[in-house]
Amino acid sequence: MTTTSTVPQKPASPRSTAPSLAPERPVQWPHREVRTLPNGLQVVLAESHAFPKIAAQLYFRAGNALVAHRSPGLASMTATVVRTGTASRSSHRIEEDLRRMGADLGTGAGADSSNISVAGLSEFSAGLLDLVADLARNASFPEDEFERERRQRLEEVKIERTTPGFLANERLRRVLFGQHPYAVVAPNEAQVAAYKHDDLVAYYKRHYSPSDAVLIVVGDFVTAEMFAQIERTFGDWRAPQPEAPHPPEPPHAKGRHVHLVHLPGSVQTQVLVGNLAITRRAPDWHATVLANAIYGGAFHSRLVMNIREQKGYTYSPRSGVNPLRQHGYFSVSAAVRNDVAAATLTEIFYEMDRIRALPVTPEELESARNYLTGVFSLGVATLDGLIGQLSTVCLDRLPESYLEDYRERVRALTADDVLGAARRHFDSADSQIVLVGDRAQIGEQAALFGDVTTYDTQGETIRAA
Amino acid sequence: MKHFQIPVEHTTLANGLRVVVSQDRTAPVVTVGVYYQIGFRLEPQGRSGFAHLFEHMMFQGSENAGKMEHIRLINSSGGLLNGTTNYDLTNYFESVPSNALERVLWLEADRMRALKVDDENLRNQRDVVKEEVRVNVMNQPYGGFPWLDLPPVAFRNWQNAHNFYGDFADLDAASLEDVQRFFHTYYAPNNAVLLMVGDLEPAGAFELARRYFEDIPANPKTPRADVTEKPQTEERRGEVEEKFGPLPAIAVGYTLPERGTHERNVAGIVDRVLHGGRAGRVYRGLVLEKQIAVEADGHAEIFDTNGPTQMVTRIFHKPEFSAEQTMAAFDEVIAELHEKLISEEELDAVKVKFRSDYYSMLEGGMGSYMPRFGLMHYLACLTLFDGDPDRINTALDGFLKVTPAEAQAFARKYLVAKNRAIVLRQPPALKGAA
Repeated sequence: MTTTSTVPQKPASPRSTAPSLAPERPVQWPHREVRTLPNGLQVVLAESHAFPKIAAQLYFRAGNALVAHRSPGLASMTATVVRTGTASRSSHRIEEDLRRMGADLGTGAGADSSNISVAGLSEFSAGLLDLVADLARNASFPEDEFERERRQRLEEVKIERTTPGFLANERLRRVLFGQHPYAVVAPNEAQVAAYKHDDLVAYYKRHYSPSDAVLIVVGDFVTAEMFAQIERTFGDWRAPQPEAPHPPEPPHAKGRHVHLVHLPGSVQTQVLVGNLAITRRAPDWHATVLANAIYGGAFHSRLVMNIREQKGYTYSPRSGVNPLRQHGYFSVSAAVRNDVAAATLTEIFYEMDRIRALPVTPEELESARNYLTGVFSLGVATLDGLIGQLSTVCLDRLPESYLEDYRERVRALTADDVLGAARRHFDSADSQIVLVGDRAQIGEQAALFGDVTTYDTQGETIRAA
Repeated sequence: MKHFQIPVEHTTLANGLRVVVSQDRTAPVVTVGVYYQIGFRLEPQGRSGFAHLFEHMMFQGSENAGKMEHIRLINSSGGLLNGTTNYDLTNYFESVPSNALERVLWLEADRMRALKVDDENLRNQRDVVKEEVRVNVMNQPYGGFPWLDLPPVAFRNWQNAHNFYGDFADLDAASLEDVQRFFHTYYAPNNAVLLMVGDLEPAGAFELARRYFEDIPANPKTPRADVTEKPQTEERRGEVEEKFGPLPAIAVGYTLPERGTHERNVAGIVDRVLHGGRAGRVYRGLVLEKQIAVEADGHAEIFDTNGPTQMVTRIFHKPEFSAEQTMAAFDEVIAELHEKLISEEELDAVKVKFRSDYYSMLEGGMGSYMPRFGLMHYLACLTLFDGDPDRINTALDGFLKVTPAEAQAFARKYLVAKNRAIVLRQPPALKGAA
């Protein structure tokens, strides 16, 4: 079907109503090849020839959660220093090699994984993969580079602690996850100062291992040639199997509690409300994402229409279901003017209670299902989007058919499914409330919603003013 | 180098609306944009922030699609939408499954034809915009640095130098009458370009464009503000207090050669010699070697501005170094460009990276969910500013033939004190220490 053939010969109406949608065209997932090398490295390849570029991401299923109890952020620091030298390349040489291949390199770590990512011109595919392998296998951790990067990280940490969005997120994660390592999103200054060179090297030796790694390559290449190249570059890589962690369970908070992070001089209040929820592996994941799209996860959602388009409290309200590997959480955020902090919370809970109490309308259901399935197809059309979708499936060990089935599963959901998901996972009664702002402006409003604990920007509890 | 060609077709409707399409069958999705040649640099004097406030009003209701209808119809078609206000243009764009193309065009035509908004909508969006300014500027460390800090120091013409987000007093003074007048003045088809990129047949796309847009009347008198600057004769400096962040920061802006000149291409290449991550000379000099700064990078808006534009370097330096020490280190990097020719090897590497970045810009450009946003955006600029969207396939050539001698000549002429502005953004505790 082409666009031309969907055009009626005469306008059906004199422009007073929106044209209906033409028949949908099927989403073709790029062919992908999934193989596992004898050393355990899982390889995922997907061709996409629109532009002469490739993107490659090597993931290790080990991140900051593994070290949160002893050295928060150590996995991130390790990843940063990985790019500063190998047995055969200096830091300067690495950056020059990248530029010569038209490439950008990223090395980093989240809670659950560490990664080495590169994107560059497809004519340099072999060189790009060689570089990724060199960093993964032969990083040399130069002492002076480590010291320089540590100082830079120290300054970044100080800036983070003046950023309302960071402070809110950090506090919510602490409150929701308790003793579980997901409670810690970033180190403080003392923890960065305590990083030791040997700890980085030890982390690298132990966790940058092919036995629990995934290499995803997308872009302009021929699959058979790319696979042969990967076998040559990564096939003889041997490293021990890292042991799996057994962290404690997060607490299940009962009752609303308010956590106020005092940011003196703040001319706005960052509101963040949340509760523990689910991961992508849960059977009602799709239903929960759909409920979220209707509640506050899309521009045309109830919460955005309410507190932005009707009331003008905020520019950027949003809710999200945030899946980490072991646990997930639901959160609602809005940066609002100080005098409507309480009014904003009232509307957040009103909309949460409404979607838990009453079924969504057939129009809302249809609209949100279209939204999720449509946006999902948009994600296939860029290399970034494609690699993001593929990595989600691999890293979370989702079923092979997750991507192909996604749209059908969403289309099959009913108003009952949405109601059930909202009741289970939008936990209005036990929501934890984080407010970042000047307590002189918002202290009284905060107390309307429960007992208040107040913190300074370093995370220390302070007594009420 | 692989041969690489982007298909582009274009036409102009009877009312002056230019229409540009580019087919791309990667996925059954299409990205559509309407770009108007009015931006915050061009807004009327005494009405700071109006172009941006007005952009919000374009989502508040049109002839046949009331408030929230634009957003509802796009989201429920499976798509995303947004708008942005830039120096010299304002854009409205959607990425949707390709079966929603006609619906998107109906919506964009409806709001090009007639805006239907009331005082309540204006009050509401004024509040939303104020929260946008607070969340992006007033309540963030280094908010607005340096895009709001540099222009008032660098430029003398109000058009280039004013607060683009708007003073709150000016936002409060905006009336519904201003909104309608602005709409009738600038939002005319002959002051715009319509773009469609993705899963479409060009002939069918043009047919739809004609059906929905061609009878929207033109405005033969679309004014354009004079943005010219008098020649600068000495270095300009300013200071802005940093309310939250702990580090002193410096922005340096050099005014670039005009759009459409080969010198502008040279500027694009020299920008990438200096900036662009860890291989750039500024980062290497200040962060890696001298270790004065913890972050240093920059950028020149080569592609999407149409008036006085600067190449801007941002430096966050360690508090134990003064602003003077930091600037001395930066000036060494610049002096090297004056004194020594760039090696062919370095220049070749920069060009490879430039080409790669160009493709990435076209391929994505606004997160991973607006496919080909960058392609659409640059096609719009080439159409509105240069009258030639076909340059999308030749624009790279000018950059790739820049020579070391041209780079040196550019540095000696443009990267000089009397062609630059410097803004120090310092925490109060450090003020005076510089």
